[in-house]
Amino acid sequence: MQNLEDRLVSRRSFLCALLGLGLAGPLSGCLPVAGTSVQPARPTPVGPAGQLTVAMPFRVVAIDPHGAQGVERSTLTVARHIFDTLVFRDPFTGNYKPALAIEWSIPDQNTWVFTLRPDVRYHDGSRLTSADVKACIERVLALKGPPAPLWAALEAVETPDERTVRIRTRTPVGTMLANLALLYIAPASRVNAEGFFNNPVGTGPFKFVSWRRDAEIRLEANTNYWGEPPGVQTLVFKDIPEVAGRVTALETGEVDFTYGLPPDQLPALRRNPELELVSVASYTYYFVWFNHQRPPFNDVRVRKAMWHALDIATMARDLLKDVGKPAQAPIPETVFGFTPQAPYEYNPARARQLLREAGFPEGFETTMQWNPGSGPQDRELVQAMISYWNAIGVKVKSLEKERAQWLKDLLDLNWDLNFQTNSVQTGDADFTLRRLYHSGARRLGYANPNLDRLLDEAATTLDQRRRLDLYAQAQRILWEEAVGIFPFDLLEVYVFRKRLSGFVPEPSGIPNFRLVRVL
Amino acid sequence: MAAYAARRLAHSVLVLWGALTVIFIAIRVVPGDPALAILGPDASPADLSALRARLGLDRPIVIQYLEYLGRTVRLDLGNSIRLEAPVLGVIMERFPLTALLAFTAIVLAVGLSFPLGILAALKRHSVIDSAVSAFSLVGQSVPSFWLGIVLILIFARQLRLLPSAGAESWKHLILPSLTLALIFTGVLTRLVRSGMLEVLAEDYVRTAHAKGLAPRLVVIRHALPNMLIPVVTVIGLQLGHLLGGAVIIETVFGWPGIGRLLVDAIFHRDYPLVQGAVFFITAGFIIINLMVDLSYGYLDPRVRLSRND
Repeated sequence: MQNLEDRLVSRRSFLCALLGLGLAGPLSGCLPVAGTSVQPARPTPVGPAGQLTVAMPFRVVAIDPHGAQGVERSTLTVARHIFDTLVFRDPFTGNYKPALAIEWSIPDQNTWVFTLRPDVRYHDGSRLTSADVKACIERVLALKGPPAPLWAALEAVETPDERTVRIRTRTPVGTMLANLALLYIAPASRVNAEGFFNNPVGTGPFKFVSWRRDAEIRLEANTNYWGEPPGVQTLVFKDIPEVAGRVTALETGEVDFTYGLPPDQLPALRRNPELELVSVASYTYYFVWFNHQRPPFNDVRVRKAMWHALDIATMARDLLKDVGKPAQAPIPETVFGFTPQAPYEYNPARARQLLREAGFPEGFETTMQWNPGSGPQDRELVQAMISYWNAIGVKVKSLEKERAQWLKDLLDLNWDLNFQTNSVQTGDADFTLRRLYHSGARRLGYANPNLDRLLDEAATTLDQRRRLDLYAQAQRILWEEAVGIFPFDLLEVYVFRKRLSGFVPEPSGIPNFRLVRVL
Repeated sequence: MAAYAARRLAHSVLVLWGALTVIFIAIRVVPGDPALAILGPDASPADLSALRARLGLDRPIVIQYLEYLGRTVRLDLGNSIRLEAPVLGVIMERFPLTALLAFTAIVLAVGLSFPLGILAALKRHSVIDSAVSAFSLVGQSVPSFWLGIVLILIFARQLRLLPSAGAESWKHLILPSLTLALIFTGVLTRLVRSGMLEVLAEDYVRTAHAKGLAPRLVVIRHALPNMLIPVVTVIGLQLGHLLGGAVIIETVFGWPGIGRLLVDAIFHRDYPLVQGAVFFITAGFIIINLMVDLSYGYLDPRVRLSRND
């Protein structure tokens, strides 16, 4: 009996230990618990005065705007508040205005000279110099990430004195200011140090405070900012990946601002008296590419037939209400160089006739690859397009692919049709048209020496009016030859609490909170 | 016991090696190129090859494998390609949060399912039994993301009692842990109930009743301990699963745990991070299973005796 009692006791202690193990977690400080240093959850509908909390629709992988994540919207949204650029693009006029550079000149076609604003200080107190600009341009090139091709024509960056930057190029660069509007400046002495961008300093309106990966990034107002002082004391970027959680957090006031919501969420939010919705035409658009190396897509009649088969206006109205509209050109209207084209009429009879002329009276079978999540309602749009094509006898099989695989197939030209979104990050037609449609890009197997000539000339012309004319010609070729189908331009819809004021939406999809105030 | 533990440990090392090998092969067999995933579609072929060389991906696969094993043995998990940070550090940032969520969910589930299961077994065929069975069936059947969103809508949006997402305070822990707990409670309650029913029909329980022991003591001292082995096994397995990250719940509640980290790493072909996270998760799973196995000896001395034989 004694033996049995012992056994029971030891068994009980074991169970206690098991339970203790469970409780030890919460008590051991894995996560702050009530009564410690935690900022308690806010039961009231609005945050503390002076704090703006933003929930972006994507996670921040890096704050480094020079490297692999250098054209990601999440990275650039954080970066634009910590760092400054030499110039910025006015969202209303499209003109480039002074930021860290107060003036610039072009002594010859291949040379740009910028004069830096005097006495600009980084958050650590050190002074901005021309060496910083040189270091950052060279860093972008050395890292060979997505922003690097913007600087492909660079010959050298020279720094004759602390306030002068001379950028020499091998060929004239018509997009120099657009490129510089994406180049965020960090101190030369530290920018290449390991871990710098985990605790960065810039010259921008907000100072970096902390980053809990996949949770939140916290910034504080820079009271010594050279420009107009920021509107809020604390700017927080909170990571809430799930739409339902993000919308709820907005409605309860846990966050003040979000965007990138699916269209079905918008009507209810619009009815909420505490919220405001603002939408703006963006740099982002949908397109369907044809693989020109694979018959029958090397035949312009087949490509046009597939475009005529789509009722783009109906799809835009029914599937993209509030978030998209029919496109008018191969680049969105917000982009420098945009020239509207005559729309392809929805005409299945004409489409069938074109197929007959091309030798496909019965239609044909093909496939379309796409990567889910690239844009709003992508799955619904794929299904709608497939049923429209089916109506003219073209049977398209949907091949939904995970991003890494889709990307590899895309570049290997291992596809028939490809449905995706693209964003013209620099706001300049060159970023999209030359990068994608120049024969050297080998993106869709299309080669047209005439188009190449136009795009090359536009890229190396400093006269912006001449560039507009060249891009108008280039767009006409792309549109009339139906190099791809350009169905929809996307809108960015920002939803925020009415206590915010001063928010100005920009087409870049990289919201600017520098001057936003909270009540 | 020591010999048994040693045997189990050797077995665990084999399992770990197997898991590491499988993940090493699996991540390389799926199409997709890490260099391309990092540099993007505009990178030149030369830049892509340079990055592959820097990452060591251009070397023979056997060499890569041997180096990887060698480094893992030294606990050098390398650097994440995408996050450009040491894998161990990245994992250790998130693992405590995943562990906290997992342990809390298990404690809640145990706290709920034991009383419910025992009650249902004692009141077999009663209304209570039916209600508990219905509850556990629903708990087992509802998808976790749906339950999570419903709880957000009720407690955050309607009642405004709890935050909807994040991991800033203990309040943020309640909804995700409750979601995981409710789903596991469904499974566990059924197990506790059926285990109790089986044990309650045993002769020694009848004997305990016959000798006049209070019904409460019969349950606690005689019945409960004898149905624990399968229950503890399932708890251990579930804990192991949860330590691997509850990806869906972490996503729904914006909980920065290891599950989301791993899924993102897989999508971006971040080989070192995938390998490091799988190593960590597998090791955690093995350790918990080892503890469960060793616990059998405490829960049922006959197990210990038979092993000594």
